[in-house]
Amino acid sequence: MGDAFNQVSEEMGELIESFFTTPIFGDTTVGFTVTTFWFLLACILMLVVIFTYKKKMEGQLVPHGLFANGVEYLVDFVKNDICKGTLGDTWKVHFPFLATVFFVVMFGDYIGMLPTWKAGTGTTGITLAIALMSFCYFIYVGMKKKGVFGYIKSLAPAGLPAPIAAVVWVIELFSTFLRLVTLAVRLFCNMFTGHVVMGVFAIMATTFVQPMIAQFSVAALGTGAMSILWMVLLLLIYAVELMVAFIQAYIFTLLSAVYIQLAEAEGH
Amino acid sequence: MNVIGYGLCVIGAALGIAIAANAVANSMARQPEMQGRLFTVFILASAFIEALCLIGFVVSIM
Repeated sequence: MGDAFNQVSEEMGELIESFFTTPIFGDTTVGFTVTTFWFLLACILMLVVIFTYKKKMEGQLVPHGLFANGVEYLVDFVKNDICKGTLGDTWKVHFPFLATVFFVVMFGDYIGMLPTWKAGTGTTGITLAIALMSFCYFIYVGMKKKGVFGYIKSLAPAGLPAPIAAVVWVIELFSTFLRLVTLAVRLFCNMFTGHVVMGVFAIMATTFVQPMIAQFSVAALGTGAMSILWMVLLLLIYAVELMVAFIQAYIFTLLSAVYIQLAEAEGH
Repeated sequence: MNVIGYGLCVIGAALGIAIAANAVANSMARQPEMQGRLFTVFILASAFIEALCLIGFVVSIM
């Protein structure tokens, strides 16, 4: 059994290496990488799903069938739980943007859940791009509502004495830019670690059964029986990852909504 | 060293999720009709805490 564990730790490095993005042409700074390909595929899949839904809903108000009802449920979820819950009266203006972010992140997450496929959101480049869009959007909303200088001034709450207001303003400015980083890093880390953990269990399930195939003995049978346990754990982790993919899309959208709400809020 | 660092990170996350779960269990006992809403809040809070732990994991293996 010790041999099997040693072999697993040898294969770990190779596994982690395989989750880093590799360029198809160009390089990782400017070029087309593997992750970009899967993200593009996720986007195309999303557009197909949304336009099929739109076509099915033409000329009728009530959705029929599993597909139309499923998409309707997701759209309603974004509308009621995220937009109406956090934004209040102005939810209608921001709903298209937030729904787009939700669907892009969700499809990017779920495309990696199919075996041998990779998550579109599994690299910092793509999550940072989505976070940057959300970041620019809430700053734009704030500046449109309060004017450019009005928004910059409103980072520090009104009614503070001048020296304290300056300190608070600097801290708030810092935390505003930190939002961009945390949005991107949270999504990336969740996808990356989820796939690494699933990969480790998959490797364990195969390496533990190998001695039994090579030469049958009672000790090898004991080691092989262990791989059933790894299989069960792998399935459990897979189920958890299916949930995490959805929750991460939800959190990403919810935080974007909260930031928009904060940018719009009148004096706090 | 990496493993020790990650262990410390897990202690923090475990305490955080434990406090959140404790509070949610208490609130559910007090107001069972709020169960659905509380569960959503709990999942959200634990996702935030978990993210910190996962950042630790990624940093430790890189």
